[in-house]
Formats: sequence, C-alpha cells, structure tokens
Amino acid sequence: MAHATPSLSAADRERGERIYRRIAALLAVAVTLYFLLVPVLGLNIAFHFYMMLWITMASAFNVSSGFSGYMPFGYVAFYGVGAFTTAILVKKLGVAVLFALPLSGIAGVLLSLLFAPTLRLSGIYFAIVSLALAGICRLTISNLPEEITGGSFGIQLGSRAEPLQAFYLMMAVMAVALATIYWLSRSRLGKALRAVRDDAEAADMMGVNVGWVRLQGWMIAAFFPAVCGGVEAWYTNVVDTETAFNTLVTAKTVIYAVAGGLGTVTGPVLGAIAMSWLDELVWRRFPLINLLILGVATMLLVLFLPRGIVGTLLRARPQWRRYIP
Amino acid sequence: MSILVMNGLVNGVIVGGIYAMLGLSLSLLYGVLRVVNFAHGELVIGGSFFAYFLFAAIGLPPLASVPLAALSFFAFGWVAYYLLIPRLSRSDDPEIMSFLLMYGFSIALAATMLLMFGADSRSIDYSFEPVSVAIGPVYVSTARFYALGVTAAITALMGWFLFRTLPGKALRAAQMNREAIQIVGVNIVRLSALAFSIAFGIAGLTGVLISLVFPAFNPFSGAEYSIIGFIVIVLGGLGNPIGALVAGVFYGVAEQMASVFLPQALAQIVGFAILVGTILLRPTGLFGWRAMR
Repeated sequence: MAHATPSLSAADRERGERIYRRIAALLAVAVTLYFLLVPVLGLNIAFHFYMMLWITMASAFNVSSGFSGYMPFGYVAFYGVGAFTTAILVKKLGVAVLFALPLSGIAGVLLSLLFAPTLRLSGIYFAIVSLALAGICRLTISNLPEEITGGSFGIQLGSRAEPLQAFYLMMAVMAVALATIYWLSRSRLGKALRAVRDDAEAADMMGVNVGWVRLQGWMIAAFFPAVCGGVEAWYTNVVDTETAFNTLVTAKTVIYAVAGGLGTVTGPVLGAIAMSWLDELVWRRFPLINLLILGVATMLLVLFLPRGIVGTLLRARPQWRRYIP
Repeated sequence: MSILVMNGLVNGVIVGGIYAMLGLSLSLLYGVLRVVNFAHGELVIGGSFFAYFLFAAIGLPPLASVPLAALSFFAFGWVAYYLLIPRLSRSDDPEIMSFLLMYGFSIALAATMLLMFGADSRSIDYSFEPVSVAIGPVYVSTARFYALGVTAAITALMGWFLFRTLPGKALRAAQMNREAIQIVGVNIVRLSALAFSIAFGIAGLTGVLISLVFPAFNPFSGAEYSIIGFIVIVLGGLGNPIGALVAGVFYGVAEQMASVFLPQALAQIVGFAILVGTILLRPTGLFGWRAMR
C-alpha cells in the first residue's frame, strides 16, 4: 500500500505550506483592514458589529459541527448564558465589562462541561438533546428570582457602551476566535478531532484519547458564543430571556456556517459575510417576509449547496485543499 | 384518590392522545425515511389554522375539518416529498441535513402563517352542546371528549393499516430494513412518499384536535409541539410507532400530573428533563423495543 497515494516530495509540501500560510495571512489582513476601515469610512457600525458577531458564532459552531461532527441545535444556550452572566456581573456585582466577558466565556465552558455527558450521543439524538437543553436553560433562567435575572423585564446593564467601543471589542473577540480556530485546524488537537469525527474507533486504536479530545473541542465551541452573548448584551444594554435564548440565534449561526462550508476555517467566515450582506442588501427591503426568506434560503441551501461555498469549491478542486485554510 | 388526581389522569390521557398522534407521525417519518421532522409542530399549527379558516370563512364545525385537514395535508405531503427529499439523499450526511432542511421548512411555515393570520393567538369560537360531559367523577369539555374519540379512531385505523394491509406492512418492513425491502421488489421512493404524506396528514388532523383541546394557538406555538413530539418519539424508541403511541399517552399523563403537583414552570422543565434523562440512560427508549422490533 506504499504507493496507494503518490506522496508529495518535501519541496512540494513546503511549497504547499507556504501558499497555505500566505493565503491565511492575506485573508487575515483583508478581514482586519475591512473592519478597521468601517469606522474610518463612516460605514454602518451596527451592521458590521453584527457581521463580526455572526462570523465569531459561525466559526465557533464550526469547531463543534465541522471539526468534531456534533450539531448542537441548542447552540443559543451558550450565547444566552453568556449574555446573562455578563449582565449579572456588570449590573449586580459591579464588575468591569472587560473582566465580565472572559468570565462569561468561562460560564459557557462550565455549561459545556455540564452538557458533556451528551457527547456520547451522536447524530440526531445529540441534536435533539441539545435543543432540549437550551429549552431547560431558558426556563431555568426565566424562573430564577427576579432580583438575579430581572424576571420577564430582563436586566438593564445601565452602563451603555459607546457603539464604537463595543465594535472594537467585538473585533478583538472575533480576532481571538479566528486565531484560535486557525491554530486548532493546524494543531494536533484539530487533527485528532477530525480523526475522531471520521472514525472514533480507529482514532482510539491510534492512541487518541477520544473522550478528552471531544471534550476539548466542545469547550472551545462553547467559550466563544458565551463571550459573544456578553458583548451583545453590553452593546444593546439589555438582556432578557426572549432575545438571549431566541432560537433564531441558533438558526442564523447554523445557516451561516453551513452556507460557507463546515470543516474549513474560511468557510464560516465567508458564509457569515456573504449572508450578512445578502440580508442587508436584499432581505431588509422586504421586512415583512424576512423570516420567510430566511426559511426558504435555508431549504435551498441544504438542497443545492449542502457543502457550502468553500466545501463546494474544494470538492470541485480537491487539490486546493492543501492551500485553503 | 382525590378528584384532582383523577382530573389529571383523565386530561392526561386526552392530551396524551394528541401527543401520541404527534409521536405516531414523527416516528413513521423517522422510521421509514430517517428524517426527523423539525417542522412537525408548524405543520400541526397549520392544521389548527386550517380549521380556524374554514370555521371563520364558511362556518364549518371543527370536527368536520378533521378529514378535510387530513386529506389536504396528505396531498401537501406528497408534493413536499418530491420537492424536498430526493435531493437530500445526495448530501454527505442526509440524516443531519434533513434536520436542517426541516428547520428551514419550519421557519418558512411559521413565517407564512404569520403573514396570513398575524401574530395574535387564535382560538376557534365554536362550542359543543352540552359544554361538558362526565367521565366517572370527572367533568371534561365535550370538545376534549370528541378529541379523545378521534385519536382513538385514528389509532385503530393506523393499527389496522400498519398491521393488516400490504402497504402498511411494507412501511413497517422499511423501518426494520430499508435495503432488504428493496430486494423483494418494493418501490422505496413511492413507499417513502406514502410515509411522508401520511405523517403530514396526521399532523394536519392533529392540528384540528389541538384547536379543540388547547385554548389557543399562534404561528409560533409550533416549536413547542415539535419538541413534545421529539420527546415522545425518543421515549418510545426512535422509529417505533407503537412505542410512540404508548409514550405519547405516558408523557401526557406525566405532564398533567406534574402540572397538578408542581408549579407551571417546573412542569415544563419536567418534560425536557424526561427527554434528556431517557436519552442518556435508555437511548433505545423507555421500553427498549427498538432492539427487538
């Protein structure tokens, strides 16, 4: 079997590696420049704030769905818990926002540890349980005493962010998330995750600690949505269970990630950018049927572009897989 | 036994009959097609609006809407099957992609109902004569009583269909082994379309029953019923129609009992907790029938 796949020469591999790094650097610079120019050129801050939020959410979701093979349809649970953690820390305990955000991320990780037993489920079972767990989180928080979570009125943070501050903060969070995921896709852990996703038994035979690897991927996937929820809470200044646990958060995250293509670093980023623009340019003009279009677009996406933009491209040009992060 | 418990029991069975219908249709879909229908709740609410519309437009009583809803939704299912499902089998992971597809379908359906009927909660302003009937010491509304009758009739009908007719037997066979049944010459595409349409038809008539049993519905109450449906099919063992029927009644009784003894919010959590607990502890369903079906 030595010649089953033509092995690349060392020079070839190095060349591929160089191109890969160059493309990654180019994309990073392009994305950074684009968002840095938003305030300078006086573009719509709110629109781009949410674009970055969706990029981060979709990318983090990709760690779970693309790298690890778990589809958490209750992804909003992490987002909502993050939002409430930030709100409670800032409002009730007077913690500075910059400290509250990492703590929210940790709250997300703790929640993921609580949900860790569900990782032994797979496919549709995992998706359904995840959905139910998000429901439990929403019900639990909305039934906590009003002094803590503000009941049905939610919590007003009372220290409203300057839109620009929140914008830069979101940008920093996005940068950290993308750097983490880029690192992950290159790391031993990332390779192990993919190996476990494709064949857990074989990975186990090769000495991969399946449970631990899955858990690490799961914790990374939980950290960022929790932080996103916190930043958004700070940005809008108000948190309540209806918006913080809105299933549309999960819907958009999943759809944007799938639109770009799961399993690649660039996929969810491109997907989130493309869909955000599509949303802004086309759908916004028809506010009444916005939801309808979102649903129909999801169906069309699954039927005609199930691998997303990047996934379809890589299927047509498999040799590019070496070059595209 | 106190009257409260009796009350919970009777209403649990009535509500459970509805949940059993949800579970029956969902498990038929999953068993034959490996599709978990995320849009089931929205379809059900579509059935409620169907009855609402017919009553508002031509004064048709809800019970007369039951067969009409079943037939219309059956036809809708037939069309939807050929539009949606054949393409799906080409994707890498059809099972999870079907979940996503139906997710989109549910959003689209809810949005359509929102556009047509608005976001307000509706109820059908139709009352039976007499308003309530006595079952033993317990009084239930006549509407609920009829709903129970309809669910019992549908259960019997589906039982006869699944166990006594050739297409029904083919459906059960497809649940057991999708490949083998093609070897013996069954057209799996048409059979799947049949399962899909039956599931849609049952969803439609369940919606009419919901308009009888529950006080109100709005375009967004579908998600709740989808989740209850998921709970029921997981309890019954995915893809097992009989298990789903039993689990539906069981869950209905559990829910009504919980609402007798626990505060409202906690009763809701009980449902989710039953689901999570079952999946983690007994993934083959409460009765463990999946292995031996």
